[in-house]
Amino acid sequence: MATAEHEYWRDQGEIYALGALDGQELKDFEAHLAAGCPVCDAYLRETGETLNLVHRSLQPVTPSTAVKDRILRQIAGDKVVPITVAQPKQTRGWQIITGTIAACIIGVVLTGTYYNYRYSVYSSVVNLLRDPATRDLPLYGAGPTPTAKGRFLWNQSGEGHIFVSDLPSAPEGKMYAVWTIAQQSAPRYVGTVETNPKGQGGLHIKTTRSELPMETFAVTLEPVGTTAAPTGPMVLVSKQS
Amino acid sequence: MPPFIDVDYPLTSEGNTLSADSQNSPVYLIRQTANQDREAFSQLYDRFSSLVYTLAMRMLRMSSDAEDLLQEVFVQVWHQANRYSEERGSPEAWIVNIARSRAIDKLRSIRRMERSFILTDDPAKAESSDNVESSAAESETKLTMNSALANLPEAQRKVLELAYFDGLSQSEIANRLKEPLGTVKTRMRSGIQRLRDLLETKVR
Repeated sequence: MATAEHEYWRDQGEIYALGALDGQELKDFEAHLAAGCPVCDAYLRETGETLNLVHRSLQPVTPSTAVKDRILRQIAGDKVVPITVAQPKQTRGWQIITGTIAACIIGVVLTGTYYNYRYSVYSSVVNLLRDPATRDLPLYGAGPTPTAKGRFLWNQSGEGHIFVSDLPSAPEGKMYAVWTIAQQSAPRYVGTVETNPKGQGGLHIKTTRSELPMETFAVTLEPVGTTAAPTGPMVLVSKQS
Repeated sequence: MPPFIDVDYPLTSEGNTLSADSQNSPVYLIRQTANQDREAFSQLYDRFSSLVYTLAMRMLRMSSDAEDLLQEVFVQVWHQANRYSEERGSPEAWIVNIARSRAIDKLRSIRRMERSFILTDDPAKAESSDNVESSAAESETKLTMNSALANLPEAQRKVLELAYFDGLSQSEIANRLKEPLGTVKTRMRSGIQRLRDLLETKVR
């Protein structure tokens, strides 16, 4: 009986390793694994190695060297843990004075940086509008936010700007992810748009040129950090369904 | 037993061909990557990037999507190298598993998006998910003649490809092929058993 039962789990394990088990059978098998089954664990590992033959059956294609450069640049930009350096002790009076001066300097710099940033965004939007190749698409509310509205300026060079209105702020732990979609292609995450208390927001987008013309533009409500693929409901979309 | 000529990838799991302590072994490279060793990470990329990119091209079909996936996979490898455990599989199986999971997420979101709005706009596009499948034959990534998969009977190969490359579940495959679920399961298991036999024959 025990052997027959294990044959059942072994059979399920093969389909699980392939990623094709679904429904109640998937739940049952995962519960079986969670309960601890070294036999199934070993069998899954062995089946996983066997399935390596599937992708090895393809004729190898070499990626562009630019991808490696992008990855190395991305990981090089990771935050480096700073080494803490002991500071000499200061008197409280000096701390207040230096703190106030530093705050003023930072305030001036931040204000200047903020206005410079705003100016550069406005300039970029104006340049987009000047370009006859830029498309101006209305966005329609969908799913949980049927009354939301928006506009998407998009240039095939990979630059665009999204304006949204009547879109309530994203709930705690959620964000509004912006996606561009070419036909039969995976949605591409291009950024996160935030809204103010009036429900208005905007985002300037600069990404790499796409091979195919983008067909659809959408905003979805996602758990913070979701950028691989949309999982949540669509809140704005460029085509009315 | 049909002839079986594999492509350039090493046949046995990488951890078996070279000891984990060898400075060229992928297990060693992953350990070093976990210590933020960029040189080791670069070597790991050189070792597996073509394999991941080939898989991504077969699954997503667009070079831009495949490149994005390749980037996401290796950034994840960089961040999660410390989670790799040799006991749970070879580096190849681990990296490919990351790639397949991410690609399947993307494929499912494409299908969801198509269902939710593209299909409603243009009935001609309603066939697009089927077209994706048929376009595999025209894709840059084809099965190597005499590869393990190419040597399986058509019915077994078909179900394995739909599950492995298209991310379809057993029920979705049964629907797609209009075959009973039991038949699909049997074909999957027979296909995997046949691959296992081929692997054992080659290793022996």
